[in-house]
This record gives sequence, structure tokens and C-alpha cells, in this order.
Amino acid sequence: MKDTVSRQRARVATADRAALAPYTVWAVLFILVPLVFVAYYAFTDNAFHFTLDNVKRFFTATSTVIGSDGSAQEVRTYLLIFWRSLKLAVISTVICLAFGYPIAYIMARAAPRVQRTFMTIIMIPMWMNFLIRTYAWMTILQDKGIFNNFLTTLHLPAVHIIGTEAAVVIGMVYDYFPYMILPLYSILAKLDPKLLEAARDLGCSGWGVLKRVVWPLSLPGVISGVTMVLIPSISTFYISQKLGDGKFFLIGDAIEGQYVANNLHFAAAIAFVLMIVLLLCMGLMRKLAGRRVEGGL
Amino acid sequence: MRPIAKVYTALIFLFLFAPIAILLVFSFNSGNSLSVFSGFSLHWYQELLHDTNTLGALKNTLILALSASILSTILGTAAAVGINKLRSRTMRSAMNTVTNIPMVNPDIITGISLMLLFVFAGRLMGLGTSLNFWTMLIAHITFCLPYVILQVLPKLRQMDKSLPEAAMDLGCTPMRAFLKVELPEIMPGVLTGLIMAFTLSLDDFVISYFTAGNGFETLPIRIYSMTKKTVTPKMYALATLIFFAILALLIISNLMDEETAQERRLAKAKRKKERKPLSPQAKRTLALSVLGGAAVLALAVSFAGRAQQLELNVYNWGEYISDGSEGSLDTIKAFEKWYEEEYGQKIRVNYSTYASNEDMYAKLKSGSVSYDVIVPSDYMIARLIAEDMLLPLDYDNIPNYKYIGEQFRGLYYDPNDEYTVPYTYGVVGIIYNANQVDEADIGDWDLMWNPKYAGRILQFNNSRDAFGTAMYKLGIDVNTGDKAQWDQALAELQAQRPMIKAYVMDEIFNAMESGEADIGAYYAGDYFTMADAQADSVDLQFYYPPATNYFFDSMCIPSCAQHKELAEIFIDYMLSEEAAIANAEYIYYACPNALVYESEDYIDEMGEEAMEILYPPMDDFKERYNSYAYQNLSDDILSYMNELWESLKIN
Amino acid sequence: MKKIIELKNITKSFDGEPVLKGINLDIYDNEFLTLLGPSGCGKTTLLRLIGGFETPDEGEVVFLGQVINDVPPHQRNVNTVFQKYALFPHLNVFENVAFPLREKKVPKDEIEKRVTEMLSLVALSGFERRNITSLSGGQQQRVAIARALIGQPQVLLLDEPLGALDLKLRKDMQVELKKIQKQTGITFIFVTHDQEEALSMSDTVVVMSEGKIHQIGTPIDIYNEPINAFVADFIGESNILDGFMLEDFRVTFSGQTFDCLDKGFGYNEAVDVVVRPEDVDIVSLEEGQVAGVVTSVTFMGVHYEIIVDVGGFKWMIQTTDFVDVGEHIGIKLDPDAIHIMKKSEYSDLYGDYSFFSDEMEEAVEGEVKA
Repeated sequence: MKDTVSRQRARVATADRAALAPYTVWAVLFILVPLVFVAYYAFTDNAFHFTLDNVKRFFTATSTVIGSDGSAQEVRTYLLIFWRSLKLAVISTVICLAFGYPIAYIMARAAPRVQRTFMTIIMIPMWMNFLIRTYAWMTILQDKGIFNNFLTTLHLPAVHIIGTEAAVVIGMVYDYFPYMILPLYSILAKLDPKLLEAARDLGCSGWGVLKRVVWPLSLPGVISGVTMVLIPSISTFYISQKLGDGKFFLIGDAIEGQYVANNLHFAAAIAFVLMIVLLLCMGLMRKLAGRRVEGGL
Repeated sequence: MRPIAKVYTALIFLFLFAPIAILLVFSFNSGNSLSVFSGFSLHWYQELLHDTNTLGALKNTLILALSASILSTILGTAAAVGINKLRSRTMRSAMNTVTNIPMVNPDIITGISLMLLFVFAGRLMGLGTSLNFWTMLIAHITFCLPYVILQVLPKLRQMDKSLPEAAMDLGCTPMRAFLKVELPEIMPGVLTGLIMAFTLSLDDFVISYFTAGNGFETLPIRIYSMTKKTVTPKMYALATLIFFAILALLIISNLMDEETAQERRLAKAKRKKERKPLSPQAKRTLALSVLGGAAVLALAVSFAGRAQQLELNVYNWGEYISDGSEGSLDTIKAFEKWYEEEYGQKIRVNYSTYASNEDMYAKLKSGSVSYDVIVPSDYMIARLIAEDMLLPLDYDNIPNYKYIGEQFRGLYYDPNDEYTVPYTYGVVGIIYNANQVDEADIGDWDLMWNPKYAGRILQFNNSRDAFGTAMYKLGIDVNTGDKAQWDQALAELQAQRPMIKAYVMDEIFNAMESGEADIGAYYAGDYFTMADAQADSVDLQFYYPPATNYFFDSMCIPSCAQHKELAEIFIDYMLSEEAAIANAEYIYYACPNALVYESEDYIDEMGEEAMEILYPPMDDFKERYNSYAYQNLSDDILSYMNELWESLKIN
Repeated sequence: MKKIIELKNITKSFDGEPVLKGINLDIYDNEFLTLLGPSGCGKTTLLRLIGGFETPDEGEVVFLGQVINDVPPHQRNVNTVFQKYALFPHLNVFENVAFPLREKKVPKDEIEKRVTEMLSLVALSGFERRNITSLSGGQQQRVAIARALIGQPQVLLLDEPLGALDLKLRKDMQVELKKIQKQTGITFIFVTHDQEEALSMSDTVVVMSEGKIHQIGTPIDIYNEPINAFVADFIGESNILDGFMLEDFRVTFSGQTFDCLDKGFGYNEAVDVVVRPEDVDIVSLEEGQVAGVVTSVTFMGVHYEIIVDVGGFKWMIQTTDFVDVGEHIGIKLDPDAIHIMKKSEYSDLYGDYSFFSDEMEEAVEGEVKA
């Protein structure tokens, strides 16, 4: 009897290990090893000899920028590009969060059937091709586009959007909005309504409930959402090309540009620096949020 | 819902669906513009149904998304089960960290890193083509996995731990206990994971872009390649069809859910005690496995079908071959048919597309793809020859070469006619809106620097072409090795920058047609496409500046080719009257094939104006070409130019 | 005594299903009042109406003379201890208890002081920095009580607060709750489906079922003078028999006539007769007013519970004397052992021990349905 029990246990343990084994192999081969390759390329030259030049170039390359008053100014090329990408990505993320949170909250509080409908409505645009969606925004945003026609019929002055930072941000917000809503929604939907009642019972107004209970409890979802919007928007290269009138050179454009120019090693160096910075940011953010988010989505 | 919540939701949905509405509307455009609506028509839908290449790309996209999502769901669910049972905290957190990596890593890095791995592995194993369907599949599975795992893990945590134990106590083996007890419990998470994986895979462009290889072109890559020739409403028609297909699916599944809910309520009301034949859960599981089976089957069939056939891998510019639209010849199809009749053997052409010479070069250079026919431009050909990346052609296999005009042979990039067969050629000119631009200002490159039109000018979003405009203007040799002259050109571009509306490639079509911009340089043939679609208030005209770019795109066989003889037969077929005329009419660039430019039918079809612009009378063509065309720059100058370009762009 | 809450003619339905059907109830200051009834009787809904989480369809909730139907929960001087406590998982013990004070912007040192006091009242001193999830059920329970009390509400609502605790802990908490109520002098409204809990803790018990109040009274009244078969059965064990009132103080059932203490019924009026199992004396056949056969005996520790078949009707009797299965025994009833009730819609539904108890029956039925 004892023997069969222990054998049964052993079988269960083997089964568990067997379940995990393929993934472990996969993760090592296709998640970890490729990152080693990025590092390897970043720190080697075309002949695969060790060099720090690529990384150094990222930090030190300069170029001359002509200001609007015609004055020339030396800037660090890639640091400036990086800074610009970060700025636009952060703005897009904040906008996604600000507009996505209420929608996720409304969704989570709706009847189950309505929730499902909402969910599909939010997912549908993701099934249209990303490039085509972005293309369609060009038609909307250009100077004589749909949006300005609309303003003109309302006798409002037309606005110049296409080719500005605003257009790039709109593109990012549009394309990554669902990535913000989904994790927020799934965590808000799981929120125990009794907790909200308890907070109201203990003297919170509607706003107080949001601030003191809903928000802190939804932080894991916020972190997932922020990650899932910030990361792709920082590294995009199509949106900036199409909606930025080709005037916005972002870090994604730089990597793609170097790849196309066949400077794989420098492309890897930019990617490597970007990766390190982002990993640090994410680590910091999770620390700051004060809790470990296991399976936060 | 409170009214304010309703209004807010409505606004958000409006935002989400505005672009969808746009592509829906423009898919019915009778013209070929994406910004000027010229009338209702179903024309693009008809075109789409005849476009086997686009439909093929759609099929590829679906096959990839289905197999990637199903495989990642299976692998991810198993992984979640394993992770959930890990006793050691360190192991668990290590697993979680690794799982999170593809999520917190930008897709561009995931794409590049996987490409580096595949290329390396390919070289190690001595494979000619390490990038192919399977590498794309691996890449897609890799970035889908964390989403599946993160959907399944919480469901496993919520599950009563004693459930599987109870099942085993009642005589199940661990495997059966998992299938019969655990799996149904975590099914909602598994399904959500599957749907997320499918959605992500379907929508992915960046990772596919870096890991795509031979003969397997997905929709996003095909669309991205349409930079020389623009995206047409056909793609919008495709998106619209996809939209309605999904809508129909969702409505059906909602109705089914409704029905089962209704049934359940009824059953409850009547206190029925008999079991229903299949619970909704079981139904869903069943549907899922059927779906999975179908996908795997489709995959197997499509690959098994391939194995028995001859294959030819053609790599060309986006929208650069006649595809059967508007009753024209579908050149690829025609070739396949012709070959079978001629040689009695089935052949399959895997046709994929690229967005630029440099794109193509990067793929070839990685040594991880194998194409049989490529169509690079002149300067790129020079480079490929210099780097020993082209195979000399056996012109005996290409008898139709004799129709290539004398003045188009022996050009600088292939002085002895060893490697190339010209496909198209053209000249860059300036397109302007005559309703806005003063006739007195036209004639040379100065128009693009004219402050009168500040904010209405378009410049190339491509370093070589953009520098070219400045150099032609300044009278500098576009192939100069003197960095000071490049600096000079940069200064010219920097001076121009404040006047530029946009740096464009295919976006020029949109901008010129709708009157967003008034001046832009582009290829002669494309002027006609734009003029065809121009808005009522726009009157597009065209002229050649005195010094300007001449280009050739020629068919070559790269050294990685595996079917050289077949490739030569293909090239020869492309020179045959039927195919060449169809292609020339479709692409709308000049054709160096006498069967075309001397054909009465062709000349009639094109019309007098087009013939005049596309084929400007030139006795000294070869001379002009050899002095104005782009040539291969040294690596040093090339990277110097790229640096200058970046510094222009970060302004 | 001061009326603190009055419920006037309250009705409430969800999705067209009536849950409360005209509830009238007065609640007094300093009272420990229990809403008792089986699950689904509307007692929790009633509590939520008082707490402000629901609004009545009709009728009024009056708090100290003012109608508060539309006053939101955070503006009512009423706090709730939730069924599963609803403690905030992102806050520690101290912060959970301090929650209402922080909302009122009470100065920091006062918060410190009051929370410390409150935690010592619920015997949780030293647990301030502990994480909620690291506490046992009983400790969580006490945090929930402390959190609800710290805002000094005039009424504390408790929604089956002891349901999740094991038996021993439950008994302790009953005592503790009663103690806290005495100490603080706050009105407690307590919801439970456990009649023992209700009887042992309350000043007033309100017995409900199907959205209606059956009886309001002290535990002793409710036990001894149940108003109908439902109450008699729900509160404690009862043998309920069909009988006729011959005249005041004389009742006939089981083929015999008995003396009783009830009056005011019509001549020959059909009535329900309640006899509590512990009030039945077992005597020899000769001494007995009624005779029967023992069909089962269960040892319960303090007493035996035996089932006796009397002409087809199964009596339950609790006795300290041992009898054997199959033994023929006599049954004797004193007048004060007999309680007469008017016939009601619940007659004939309860009080026969031929089968399982109701709960068991429900459970079995449920099993079959599933």
C-alpha cells in the first residue's frame, strides 16, 4: 500500500516535471540564448572581435542640429533619439492609462453580457492589420483629412496634426489602447464588490473609494497595462514613419535603419542599451509599486 | 450605466472605430486613392478575389496565427501547470522572470535577437535557408507563450488543489486526472490565452519582419513592402472582409451562448434532471479541438503539397508585377501554367516582396534565405557583384534577351552583360499641383527649395534619393567619394528642412492626390497613378529637371539560388511578349524590352502623353544614364551618408 | 427606550422576484437584535437596506426620526461587519482599522491613539503591522469588528459574521461580541441562520422567512410561544401535531385529551400543538397518557434522542433515561409542556420526525438536481 502511494507520488512529480520540461527548453533556447546573441553582437565588430565601440558610439555620436533661428548646435545623436522616443512613449502611456482606466472600470461593473460585448468591441480593431489601421489614420489626420473637414463644417479652424508629435502619439495610443484596457479590466473585474461596499460603509465617497481602495488594488493591472503600452510604443518604427511625416526619428527607426544598412552590430548595440534601460525601468516600477506581480495580466 | 459613462464609452468606441470606418468607406472607392473618394464601386473587391498573391498571404497569415496560437496554448498550458506545482520559490520566480522577458522586451529586440539566433544556427548547420516558415512559427510561439501562461496560471491558483487529488483517489492516472478534472477547470483561462495568442500573432508585424524568410509571405510583410507602389483600397477591401467575417463569427458565438444560457434557464425552471448531451464547456472544447485539427491539417496539406513540386523563390518589390487585376494577366499564374504545359511538370512560385533595396540586401546578406530571382536596382547590383553575391547568367537559357534594346545593354553596373536582365527603368521627375504652383517657378530642382511653397513640399524618406535631389541641384556627382561634398548636400537638405511638409515614400500618393502637398519628386510612371486619382481641386503636372536620377531594376540570380536553371527560364518568360506587356502596363514604368516599347497595342494602351513622359526621346541615353545613375558607394561613404541622414532626421 | 431605526412597510424585489414583502420593524437604542431565518429569507437584504447598499422599492427607512432612503452608505452613521469581512488586502491591520479615520481626516496622533485602543478592545494589540492575509479567521473577524466600530457608529450591522469560523471559535466570539456590545452600548443588528446563536446572544429575535417577519420577541418568548409551525420548527426541535381545542385549557390530540395553559380558541377549532422534545416525560405504559414503540435511539452526550412511533406519528423525545429500540413506552405531558398555535399555511409541513430533517431533505434534493 505504502509502496503504491509513493509510486503514485513519484509519477505525479514526474508528470509535473514532464509538463515543464518542454517549456524550460524552449525558454532557454528562444528567450535566453537570443538575448545572449544581442549582447554578443553588441560587443563585437564585423569580424566578431570584442569591441566597446558600438556601445560607445551610442552614447557619444554627435550631430549638428540647426535650430529654427539658424544656429547650429552639437547634440548627442542617439541619446536625443532615445530621449524623444521615451518622451512620446510615456505621453502615450499616460494617455492610455487616463482614458483606459475609466473604460475598464465601466466594463468591469457592467452586466456579464455587456462585459463580453465590450471585450469583443475592444478586441476587434486588433484583428484588422496594424499597418492598415495606421494607414487609415493618415486619411483622418492629414490637413485636408476627415478630421479637419469635420472641423470646417463646424466652422472651426482646421488644425495641423499630421507630422506633429501629436499625430505620432495618437497613432501609438490607438494601436496600443487595447493592451492597456485588457489587464486593467481583468483585475478590476476580479475586485470583490464587498470591498467597495465596505469602503463606502466606512465613510468613503465615490471618489474616496476609487482613490483609496480601487486604485491601490488595481496596481498590478496598471503595471501590466503600462508595460504593455510603453514597451511597444517606445520601439515602434512604423507609426513614426507614417504619421510623423517621416520627420520623427525614433529609437525603433534607428534600430531598423541600422539593420537595413547592414550594421547589425550597431543595431544590436542600440537594442542592447534599450533592453537594459527598459528592464531597469520595469524592475524599478515593480519595486515602487511594492508588490510582486505574479501573473499580473 | 450612468449617462456620463454611456457618453464616455461611446466616445472611446468612436475613437476605436474611426479608422475602421475609414477603411470600410474607402474600400468602396472607385478610384485608387486612399484619401480622395471618387465614387462607389465594388471594383476593389473583385480585384481582391482575383489577387492570388494577396489571398495567399492572407492564407499564410492565418496558418501562421492558427498554428502559433494552438501550439503556444498547448506548450503554455503545460508550462503553467508545471510552474504552478514548483515547490522551490527561487525556481518559481526564475521561471516567472524568464516568462516575462518577451513581454517587457520590445518586439523589435525579440525579432532581432531571434533572427541573430536563427542565422547563427543556420550557419552552424550549414543550411542555406535558415529563415523560413518554421523560424517565423518559433518566433510567434515565443512571444505568444507568456500571454498564455499568464492567463492560465491564475486559474490554476484559484482551482481547489484537492480536485486532481480527488480524481487520482478515484482511480485516475495523473494524466487523466489532468484531462478530466484540471483542464475543464482552467479552460476559460486556456481559451482566453488562445484567443490572445491568435490576436497577437495575427497582428504582429515587427517580429515577422525580422524572422521572415523564404517563400512564406504574411499579410503585414506584404503591406509593408508596398512602399514603392502605394497601398491600394484593395487592402482596405481585405480588411473590411476580415472585419465582417469576425463580426459574423462573434454574433454567431454570442447567439450560441445565448441559446445555451436560455436552455440552462429553461432546464432550471422545469427542474429537469436528465443530463444534456453536451455541456457548453464540452461544446467549446470540441470546437477548439476541431479548429486545431483543421489548422494542423491545413498546415500539413500545404507543406505536403509543396514537397512534390518544383519550387521557385522570387523576391521582388511590392506591387511590382502584374497580378491579374482589371482583367490583366496574372503573370505568376501564367508562368506556372505555361511551365507545366511546356515541361510537363508542376511548378510553384513562392513570390515574396521587399520594401527597399536595402531591405532585400539585409535579408540576403544574413545568409539565411535562398531566393532564385531578385530584382535589385542598379547601384545595388553593383554592390552585389562586388561582394560576389550574384551568379553569372547563362544567356543561352534566356533567348528572349535579344529583345532588350541595344542602348540598355552594357550599362555601368554590368558592363559585360553577365549578371542582369533589365526589368524596368525610369527617371525621377517632379510632380506639382498646377493649381498652386506658378508655371514660372518650374523647370529644375530649385522648385523643391522655393520658400514660396514652404510647407507644401515633399522630400524622399530615403537617404540616397534625398541626398540625390540636393546633389543634382548643386551639380555634385551623386557618387562622389568626397565627404565635404556630402556635407555640402546635407547643408542643402538642412536648409530645405523647414520648408518640407513630409519625408515620404509611398505616402506621396496620398499627399499629392488630395492636395495635402503641392510639390514632390518621384518616379515618372507613378505620376500617372496620382493624376488618375487626384481630387477635383488638384491638377497634377510633371517635368524632368535637367540633371536627374535614372534607374534600372534588373532581374538577377543571387548566389544563394537553389534553382538556377528554373530561374533563367522564369526570367526568359518575363521577357516574353505577353508577360512583359502585362507587367509594363501594370507597373507603369518604362520597359527596356523591344517587344513592349515597339508594340502597337502597348503604345495605344498607354496613350501619347504617357509614352512621351515614360520614354523621353534620348539619343545619348547610355551616356546620361552612366553619369547620373546611382552607383555603389564605398562602405565608408555609405555609413557616412547614413550618419548625415540621421542627423538631418533628428533635427 | 429610544427608537433608533424604524422600517415602515418595506418592499423590495430583484428582477421581479419579491425579496421583502412589507416589512415593519422598530429597532431600539442599545439593543442586540437578531434577524433570524433560513437562507434566502431576505434578512441580508434587510440589513443592506439599513446599511444603505440597497434602496427599498416602497416604504421608508427611518433613522432617528428622519427618512434616509436615499442617503448613501458613507453618510449614514451605521457600519457593517461583512460576511467574509471584506478587509482591504493592500492595507495592514493598523491601516484597515484606521481607514474610516483617515477618510475623515482625523489628526495623526489621534488616529494612532484610537486605533491602538480599538485593537486592544478586540484583543489584537501587537498585530498592527501584520498583513491581513497572514491572520487567522478569528483574527480577521476581530479586525473587521474593530474597523467597523472605530468610526463610533450608532448602529453596527453584522452579516453572518461568525459563519466562517469553527465551532469553538464561534462560541468564544459570541461571548466576545456580546461583551463588546455591552461595553460600547451600540445597537447591534445581527444576521444569522443559526437559531442557537440567535437565542444566546440577542435581546430581540426577529424570525423571518420568504420576505416576511413571522415573530418578533425575546429569545424566551420565541422559544416558548412560537407563533406558528414554521417558527416552532425553526427554533429548536418540535413535535407538531394536529389537534382540536375542546374549550379553554383543554386540547385533544393523538386520540387523548390534555390539560393545557392556552385559551381563546373557538370550540372544536383545529389547532397546531407544539411539544418540545425535552418536555416529554417517558413513563411506564400504564402511567402514560399515550403509548408508543421506540424506533431509534441516538446517544447525544447530555441526553439520548429517541424517536417514538405513536400510531404512525413519530415523536422526537430527549431523555436522560436509557430505553431500547423496540421497547413499548408510555408518554406523559404536563400542561406547561403543551403549546397551542392557530393553524397557518405552515401547518402539516413541519414537526414530524418520520424522515430526515428539512436541511437534509433539501441537500438530497439538491444533489439529485445537480
